[in-house]
Amino acid sequence: MSGQIVFALTLLVTLGVFAYTVYRLSRFFSFTRPGFPVKHISRRIGLMLEVAFGQTKIFRRPLVGLAHALVFWGFCIILFGSIEMVIDGLAGTDKILSALGGFYRFMMAAGDIFAYIVAAAIIIFLFRRLFIHIRRFEGIEMKKISHIDAIVALSLILILMLSLIGMNTGYYGYKMLTGQVSHGVYPISSLVAGLLTGISPDALHTLYDISWWTHILTIFVFANILPYSKHFHVFLSVPNVFLSRLEPLGKLINMQNVTREVKLMMNPDTAFAPAPADAPVERFGVRDAEDVVWKTYFDSLSCTQCGRCTSVCPANITGKRLSPRKVMMDLRARMKEKGPLMIKNGREYSDNKSLLRDYITEEELWACTTCNACAMECPININHPSLIVDMRRYLVMEEGSAPGELKSVFSNIENNGAPWQYSSEDRLLWARDIGFTVPVMSDLSSRGEKPEYLYWVGCAGAFDDRYKKVARAFATILDHLSISYAVLGKEETCTGDPARRAGNEMLFQMQALQVIELLNSYGIKKIITTCPHCYNVFRNEYPDLGGSFEVINYVQFLEHHAKEGSLKLTPEALKDTGMTYHDPCYLGRANEIYDEPRTLLRRVTGTFVEMDRNRSFALCCGAGGAQMFKEAEKGDREVFIERTEDALATDTGVIATACPFCMTMLTDGLKYKNREESIKNLDIAEIVALSLDL
Amino acid sequence: MSVLVYTQNWEGKFKKSTFELVSYASKVAQMLNTNLVCITIGPVTEEELRKPGKYGADKIIRLESPLSSVLDNQVYTDIIAQVAMKENAKIIVFSNNNEGRAVAPRLSVRLRAGMASGVSKLPLSLEPFTVYKKSYSGNAFAHLVINTDIKILTLAQNSFELIETSDNAVTETLELVVDEALQKTTVREVQKQTGKLLITDAEVVVSGGRGMKSPDNWGPLVELADVLGAATACSRPVSDEGWRPSEEHTGQTGKVISPNLYIAVGISGATQHLAGVSSSKYIVAINTDKDAPIFEAAQYGIVGDALKVLPELVEAAKELKK
Amino acid sequence: MKILVCISNVPDTTTKVKFIDGDTRLDTAGVQWIINPWDELSLTRALELKDDASSGITSVTVAHVGTAISEPTIRKALAIGADEGIRINAEPGDAWYVAYQLAEIIRKEQFDIILCGIESSDHNGSMTGGMIAEFLGIPSVSAVSSIKIENGSPVLTREIDGGREIVSVPVPFVAVVQKGIAKEPRIASMRGIMTARTKPVRLYEPEAAEGLTRTVLFEKPAPRAACRFIDPENPRQLIELLQNEAKVI
Repeated sequence: MSGQIVFALTLLVTLGVFAYTVYRLSRFFSFTRPGFPVKHISRRIGLMLEVAFGQTKIFRRPLVGLAHALVFWGFCIILFGSIEMVIDGLAGTDKILSALGGFYRFMMAAGDIFAYIVAAAIIIFLFRRLFIHIRRFEGIEMKKISHIDAIVALSLILILMLSLIGMNTGYYGYKMLTGQVSHGVYPISSLVAGLLTGISPDALHTLYDISWWTHILTIFVFANILPYSKHFHVFLSVPNVFLSRLEPLGKLINMQNVTREVKLMMNPDTAFAPAPADAPVERFGVRDAEDVVWKTYFDSLSCTQCGRCTSVCPANITGKRLSPRKVMMDLRARMKEKGPLMIKNGREYSDNKSLLRDYITEEELWACTTCNACAMECPININHPSLIVDMRRYLVMEEGSAPGELKSVFSNIENNGAPWQYSSEDRLLWARDIGFTVPVMSDLSSRGEKPEYLYWVGCAGAFDDRYKKVARAFATILDHLSISYAVLGKEETCTGDPARRAGNEMLFQMQALQVIELLNSYGIKKIITTCPHCYNVFRNEYPDLGGSFEVINYVQFLEHHAKEGSLKLTPEALKDTGMTYHDPCYLGRANEIYDEPRTLLRRVTGTFVEMDRNRSFALCCGAGGAQMFKEAEKGDREVFIERTEDALATDTGVIATACPFCMTMLTDGLKYKNREESIKNLDIAEIVALSLDL
Repeated sequence: MSVLVYTQNWEGKFKKSTFELVSYASKVAQMLNTNLVCITIGPVTEEELRKPGKYGADKIIRLESPLSSVLDNQVYTDIIAQVAMKENAKIIVFSNNNEGRAVAPRLSVRLRAGMASGVSKLPLSLEPFTVYKKSYSGNAFAHLVINTDIKILTLAQNSFELIETSDNAVTETLELVVDEALQKTTVREVQKQTGKLLITDAEVVVSGGRGMKSPDNWGPLVELADVLGAATACSRPVSDEGWRPSEEHTGQTGKVISPNLYIAVGISGATQHLAGVSSSKYIVAINTDKDAPIFEAAQYGIVGDALKVLPELVEAAKELKK
Repeated sequence: MKILVCISNVPDTTTKVKFIDGDTRLDTAGVQWIINPWDELSLTRALELKDDASSGITSVTVAHVGTAISEPTIRKALAIGADEGIRINAEPGDAWYVAYQLAEIIRKEQFDIILCGIESSDHNGSMTGGMIAEFLGIPSVSAVSSIKIENGSPVLTREIDGGREIVSVPVPFVAVVQKGIAKEPRIASMRGIMTARTKPVRLYEPEAAEGLTRTVLFEKPAPRAACRFIDPENPRQLIELLQNEAKVI
């Protein structure tokens, strides 16, 4: 009886403390912004089963991943026993859930086996942390407290496992020696109990009692420490996966409040009129903790500081200051600092500090290539790039602050419709002397004709000297296949992609609305594009602004035609040319197109070699996120050289790319390494054209 | 009446550009059938003062005033206005350099004299008085008519050749009364550019880019520059890497120059670089890539390895200079 | 102190200039207008000075001579951060005419520092600034590459041929500024564009005046001849050509 009262009291205290923590956190959440509707429940459940329970992302690092998965599954199983312990503790019963029969025996057995597995895993983890230098456990954001946090948590888990083992061993041993029925099956502990000869039943019972209380009290203590620890993910990981962002990684979420403003700006009647009475007063973008959408704060609480994101970040790998893990940790820490102040003084309170600059510097924000390696790698689907871009949005749209070269890019897009200073009159120079006439939309339209496809050339295809050749190659293939298509020529203008990635949401939307209006005016339904950035924008982002088209990436187009036979690719022309393929981030991770380029390349060469880091593991070329247009932030090495080295390691004669930025970077990389004579960087369109002898 | 030309001196010395200006002004004076008067401010030796006479000056005035040691735009405007009125100048010519552009516009208002800046040819006609100048940043040329009795022109740099004439000039030293109240400019510090030939002054510039592969390869390039009496320059990546000093960086974000000859070695010709050198009279490009955009801007080109070509050019240039 | 930044409205740098009416004027159809790049830098510097509380700069005004076509450009200047705009409603004639009009306004409104870009990308004149100063009888400093305020007094750096000088002049004065006056131009933030809508643009009718010059014809430059390639095995030929044909060495 007294045991029950003590138990009830400790449970009450535990729940009380926990309730207070939850209340406090809910107040913090109340300061954040809405904007993350939770729909598509069945899809979310599926993700939860796959990523959370199936641990699929954890397995991206197979060996350590297995160890973690076992710990996780062990926790899930052992949870059952813990629930029983609470019931037993309150009701004064002894293994009350044994009434469940076979199922109970199974759960106890599994729990017992896992206790040993988890204990072993934890010992390995502790050993790793204490005696082996694991790079991703280090970083400027990993202060001493983080390491202590980790060690403490691991130690508590070890105590949990050892106490469970003690419970099972003591229980089984006692029941055996006293000839009583033992509820549940304990495969390994029963063997251990068998080894404990010469220990009295009383001692075993004491072992059981002490282990029992140790176990449950450790759970109570652990449960209350967790919300303040990196191990909060024990509670939050499964819900965080349930709450995953469902959109393709390449998509940045539209800012509705900006759309309103942009539409006003673009209408000459309202452009200079005073702002309407219900004009939004809220901040654009994220400057401080309360500016984030609630889900982002949830992300930051769920983050377990594992560092897998940072370990695959191209900026971090090459010595730049950016660490995606740090971004999430900083948000959590800042809310921890400012939350109580806001509770006391209101959401508008200012302590003259902010997440921006005091925690996360501009240098870190401007180093991001939006390659999405971090988001792809995170075992619980945290989305770091959206926070980074949201902070860029604040810098650009509230302060007009950006690296100088990006300001020029913004001006150029605004004034002449391309990131570089070129006249739109020159957008068809690539089509000169091509041997056939490239059909132009306005010409066709004036004749009352309408092509099946729009071939969207993009600014690189029009103005980048190297990529003009790719535009030519692809147009030549279209002509060869007698495809009904047209280009926009001088009417083409920038899709706005670099503006959006760089945080200039306003300029992006202005361009987007312009382009959508133009495409709709021609009644365009299908778009083929040779640039993954344009592809991403058309496919994922224009629908939010009223532009719905069927968007086909040229690689998919080519593979489709090769598959159904109209594109007769034979491996003769290039069969002995060893080839490797660099996945563009905006085709690969951003839009999950990994297979078609490979299938296509395998049609033209017998020697296709994968780079070590390929598909969703591919290293960015370094040009995304508007990096193409600016100087790299300070670092030890250049990303493009790192990726070129990946390519050179395959010892192939051709590096195939499918993106104008990747091509610029890898070609530069070859020049830097003085290999541009012996190794060619070719676009897939050029490779296909070569193999067709066009 | 007369044509008056402001011949700036640099610590008492004239430059080649001064004499090109005088040659131009002399031709203008001939067109008007009148005399050419030069005015220079500050101490100049008699020997130096006589030099414009070889390029067509009829009278060369040296003016010294306690107020003239500092370039104060109002003071200089007043001085030149007084001289212009004294010499009954109908056309006043300046160089389109910093000092010319500082003073000429003020003079235009002072004398109610229509002004055209950056003219690059002799007047196209006298009635109406029409001049030719670059406009829309070099995308077009304009014919400009000046309607006033007195006219002011500034001559674009490097647009007129030296023309030597017989020397019949007289020199004159003038003292003028200038209102002290006009002097409002206080010079707190002067920072002179160090002795090396200024890229912006040089007539020939030899420039190296990333195609040179390494800073260790600059020897032949510097040698060629030495032999040709040229200044050395470089492209942005080269100055960023620290291979060459940043003062040598020519381009959109560096120096904009217009030499007679710009030799670009191992430079691809990116738009930003060309923006800094496109008004060069002649561009020569040496590059291994036949498709490099620089060849579209160049008049002469060699598709070849700079490290092989440069030493041969040095030899040929040396022979030339003998 | 009050700063006035004179701005002109020019075609975007990538515009392919074409002429109409017998090649006497620019074909403005489809032209994208921008603030003259030098004036944009000049405005940026003015705003940087105002942002510095110790400078004593209380306001930045932009003034422009032009028709209603220039409204968006003036609004852009306000969106970048200028406090108010002034437009003198007239076709900008020659520099003399424009300077005359601006001088009238400056006389009425009294500014301490007047900034003019050293040239505009359309007419490349380099005249307006100096002319304004002479109309007003105030000092001017040219080729200014830097302006600072030290102890409440402006200190300017001007480029002279062969170096630079650091000078000071009493207010009011005109500074004719060149590239380098600001590191890079400011852009209009979203917030700036929204607040610009409520900033005043005062309209003035021009004083009666006539310019002293007139452009009567525009010519397009002759197309550049294609590059002459010299055999890389015989580079000496280049030196010969440069000496005898081009006559540059």
